[in-house]
Amino acid sequence: MTSTVRVVVLGALFAVLLAVLVLRLWTMQVTGVDAYEERAASQQVRVVTTPAPRGDIVDANGVKLAGTRSALAAVVDLALVDDDEQQSLAEKLGAFLDEPASAILEQLSGDNRGAQITVAKDLTDSQATFLLEHKEEFPGVSVIPQPIRTYPLGDLAAHVLGHIGRPNDQDLEREDIDGTDVVGKAGLEKSYDEQLQGSRGIVQYRVDAKRKVLSLVGESAPTAGRNLVLNIDAGVQQQVQDSLRDGLLLARKLEMEERANELTHKSRAERLSEALAEARSEVDPEPDEPTKGTAELGVDDDDVPRELEPVTVDPIDVLGPLYPGLPIDGVGVCVPVQRVSVPLGAEGVLSGFEPQFIRLESVVEVDGEFEATVSLSGERTSVRVNQYVDGAHQILQVLHITEEEVVLLHKDPWCPVRATSVVINPNDGSVIAMSSFPTYDPTVFVDGLSNEQWARLGTVGALQNFAVQGQYAPASTFKVVAYVLALEESYYPIDRGLGDKEVGAAPEGDDAPEQVPLLSDTAEYSCTGEFRFKLGDGSVQVKRDWKWPGGHGPLDLHGALEGSCNLYFWDLALRLWQDRYDNTDLDTENVLQQYARSFGFGAATGVDLPFEKDGLIPDRSWFSEEQSKETGRVRADGPWVGGDLMDIAVGEGATLATPLQVANAFAAMVNGGTVWQPRVVSHIVDGDGEILDVNLPIAISEADISPRTVRLLRQALQQVVNNPDRGTAYAAFRSFGENVELVGGKTGTGEVISAPATERFRQASNAWFVGVAPINDPEWVVSVVVERGGSGGRIAAPVARQILQYLLNGADGVTELVPGLDAD
Amino acid sequence: MRRIRWVRSHSTALGGEPLKPDLVLVLTYVTISAIGLLMIFSATAPGFEAAGEDPATELRSQAIWVVLGFIVFAVASTINLVELKGFASPFYLVSVVLLVLVFPLGESDGVAQRWIDLGRIQFQPSEFAKIAVILMIASILAAAERPIKWNTVAHVLVIVGVPAGLIFLQPDLGTMLVFAAVTLALLFVGGATLRQLGFLFVATVVGTVGLFQLKLIEDYQIRRLTAFIDPESHSLDATYNQVQSEIAIGSGGFFGKGLFEGTQTNLQFVPVQSSDFIFTAVGEQFGFVGSVIVIALFGVLLFRLVVIAMSARSRFAFLVTMGVAAMLAFHIFVNIGMTVRIMPVTGLPLPFMSAGGTVFVALSAALGLAHSAWIRRNSPVGE
Repeated sequence: MTSTVRVVVLGALFAVLLAVLVLRLWTMQVTGVDAYEERAASQQVRVVTTPAPRGDIVDANGVKLAGTRSALAAVVDLALVDDDEQQSLAEKLGAFLDEPASAILEQLSGDNRGAQITVAKDLTDSQATFLLEHKEEFPGVSVIPQPIRTYPLGDLAAHVLGHIGRPNDQDLEREDIDGTDVVGKAGLEKSYDEQLQGSRGIVQYRVDAKRKVLSLVGESAPTAGRNLVLNIDAGVQQQVQDSLRDGLLLARKLEMEERANELTHKSRAERLSEALAEARSEVDPEPDEPTKGTAELGVDDDDVPRELEPVTVDPIDVLGPLYPGLPIDGVGVCVPVQRVSVPLGAEGVLSGFEPQFIRLESVVEVDGEFEATVSLSGERTSVRVNQYVDGAHQILQVLHITEEEVVLLHKDPWCPVRATSVVINPNDGSVIAMSSFPTYDPTVFVDGLSNEQWARLGTVGALQNFAVQGQYAPASTFKVVAYVLALEESYYPIDRGLGDKEVGAAPEGDDAPEQVPLLSDTAEYSCTGEFRFKLGDGSVQVKRDWKWPGGHGPLDLHGALEGSCNLYFWDLALRLWQDRYDNTDLDTENVLQQYARSFGFGAATGVDLPFEKDGLIPDRSWFSEEQSKETGRVRADGPWVGGDLMDIAVGEGATLATPLQVANAFAAMVNGGTVWQPRVVSHIVDGDGEILDVNLPIAISEADISPRTVRLLRQALQQVVNNPDRGTAYAAFRSFGENVELVGGKTGTGEVISAPATERFRQASNAWFVGVAPINDPEWVVSVVVERGGSGGRIAAPVARQILQYLLNGADGVTELVPGLDAD
Repeated sequence: MRRIRWVRSHSTALGGEPLKPDLVLVLTYVTISAIGLLMIFSATAPGFEAAGEDPATELRSQAIWVVLGFIVFAVASTINLVELKGFASPFYLVSVVLLVLVFPLGESDGVAQRWIDLGRIQFQPSEFAKIAVILMIASILAAAERPIKWNTVAHVLVIVGVPAGLIFLQPDLGTMLVFAAVTLALLFVGGATLRQLGFLFVATVVGTVGLFQLKLIEDYQIRRLTAFIDPESHSLDATYNQVQSEIAIGSGGFFGKGLFEGTQTNLQFVPVQSSDFIFTAVGEQFGFVGSVIVIALFGVLLFRLVVIAMSARSRFAFLVTMGVAAMLAFHIFVNIGMTVRIMPVTGLPLPFMSAGGTVFVALSAALGLAHSAWIRRNSPVGE
């Protein structure tokens, strides 16, 4: 190879290298230009967002339930604060805002670099002025208007409205949400969050490589969220809340009276006294020496009621009006949730059917943790923070231990703590009122909740909307389903109580008289209070209606509903079982369940609120599945039996329904069969009141139910309220005043299976009432549940009575809340 | 050496020949320098303006260097390379001494010691070492028998090795690689056998790998050299410049954003833009068209150098010219390649465009020497 060739080769290499550069430039500047332009633009523009005010929520008459006000917030733009300035800025801000500098520094130096950080949400005018006038002392701090959620009527319809909070990971997956936004966490705030959010305002600045703002590129103002107009009527809602609160207080007062009465019996008092003496003997070397406590609690020879030593309890008070004012220091105590502080060597008193005494014996430190030895009714146990005290059935939990004191959280399982009510329009499914007690003021969530506030609200279930999240046995209110079935299918029970030879005993053997089913809805059935029937294997089973031990006497289908006769519906269910029990055809067997489901039981109603529960209508396939999965919800052994179906017929057993479901099912039955999807929101409007979207009524299904059945059902429901002889709600509605003849309803008293066994069954039941008015052309269906309130007739019916008085006769027509009579 | 046909010969007279410059070369050199000044101004003005200073601050200081560089070019063009050959050794020795002096006297720019501070100006001895080495190798190879012997190759390697080693210790990897490239190119055109070249190539590869393995190369150098393959992963440190440069050039598009309209440039997203990344300003403001024109100008420059080399009357002049051409070509490719992310960040400036006094003057001197070969192409060979 000559030099010349080598020179040419080297020259060619130069050419190739330059050509490579040109090719590379072609791919960048000609074919790839768009991607580069985008990258250049994105790093030269800084986007700052301004939050949009959430949409308002107003009731059907325009009363504002949730709104927004403009507050001034102090915001730190981290891009404008050098790293070495952060410390001094945090100190200055901390001193100015009266907050620990370390907390502010943590906000500033978190992993949100480049973002804007709100260090104060709601500045006073003078604070804002000071910040603006001393800008140079607070580098990067600006004062900007920020919308703040308000709930002008406090706790009114709190569970319907819900509340807002910081977005969680799931919320952040939404495209319209970023970490600085607030999102709806419950209620309408959650279910309509996207409508309420509005769209953020965007300000784009041109920035240099040091993120210094050079100029404004573009600006779009935030768009306020859309406004929700509800079907809720604030007036009805207020009445519902007042009545529920009063109903709860009444139920609690009745419970206390009950306890006081029981405690005056010598046997009880003696037992109590003994328990107390025993508890004290643990520390007292001379148990016989009378102490103040035993002297006061001591039992004399006569049965004169005695005052207990006044007890000091600290009811969980975050709920405000619900708890104060309770006469808790008399005889008998009923505090649903209490905080008990017990000093070392002293005793605290726990609310309960029989007050229990808890004594703090000693506190020791183990592994840096305090361990308290307490004696509960004489039983000593050692506990640490957050543990439950042994033998207290998970109702006594240690909150706090110091060297001299133990603080406990105690729940009295028999003391009524919750009540809930729904008012709907049976003609279109609109929800007129919905309340769940205990309630809360959603405003507390605007600034964020402290852990203690959260715990207090959570302990009493205040954050849950029991109208859609509470699942209860519908109890006797469910008898209307069996009633409709009987009329529709012309299917009536076998009267096993016929004849006077063996009242209450089913005839046995070949020579037993033939038993025939009733032939019509007016054929009389003889209710003896005791139901004997033969099983498939020939054995005889006895089921007693000991809530009504004497029996109702002779009654027809309508009378059975009016008087809430369990035997009639048990017998109906048993006949169904015996006729239709068939392993191969569940449809035939499940006719009762199908009727229930056709009215919306066993499935969420689809109301526009979050977290709605399904309820449950059990049947054989559900039963075997639960049994095979060993969920613990059904008995471990044995098949699905007729008794299970009998339980369903009276709304017990595994049957579960939410208060909204029950109201909606009644609505369908009295309106001729249309099951509407309940709707809280009526329509959605923009800021000018222009309608953007109407939440039209949606019929979920049409149940096949004849006009005659509807007419008879309305009649029977009217009799429940108006029949002085056997109407279970008659007593509760005596003070109704005019228009009482327009009211119908059904009581219910639900067994609480999960509660510790007690003979005081009635007092511990869930009280139900479902009211319908005006009965001939229903406009309202009201359902009321008072948990552990006792019987439906005594406590739930009077609450519903007040609500119906308000609806029919106006606010002036509402009369005082007094207990009705015990009835299913 | 044979005359090559396409080189026009103006005169066949042997003496008294007027010194005729290569106008194409000179004009290209001046044009590139002028574009460089304009680019330096466009890249630095917004920063000075923002700081409230005279936007032409850097333009003015660079312009002085450019004028100085032109003078040096003109002077160098008149040098008779044949006479210069005798000065190659002393010049080389002085360069090596200056490179040594960098260590006790030198100024650090943060990561390496490359500068000697001479009061108001700073002086980078490695730039002049490049010329010294080219002259030394050229004189060795010009005197060597052909085909080149192994001991001549060894001689060349020792001559290169001393300054290259010193520069490696600064450390300035880019300049060291320039030495390697120039050495290989000169041995190639100087008549080394393919076997020798193959050996050198393998030795270079093995040596480089060895340096990595022995961790003699600083971490930041390894990062710089390897990070360009995936710059996003390092965009805040080693190759932030490169990513920003690529965005700037890419977003320039076909016709560019226009002079003084470069957003990346004006907003100072590209650091050291007036020096190492000056091509970014070209790419963003003048787009593909402008970039190709600048590359074409460099192509013309290299073409003229190759032509000059072929027309050189002495072997020494031929080798010096090819050495200069190879040095410039390496600078151009590595520097522009760096701005478009096909080469690692090595800190080599773009000839005649990057801001920097020593570099401009040194490269002008080198170009001037090559140019002198053209001017005296018809002079008698006085070997």
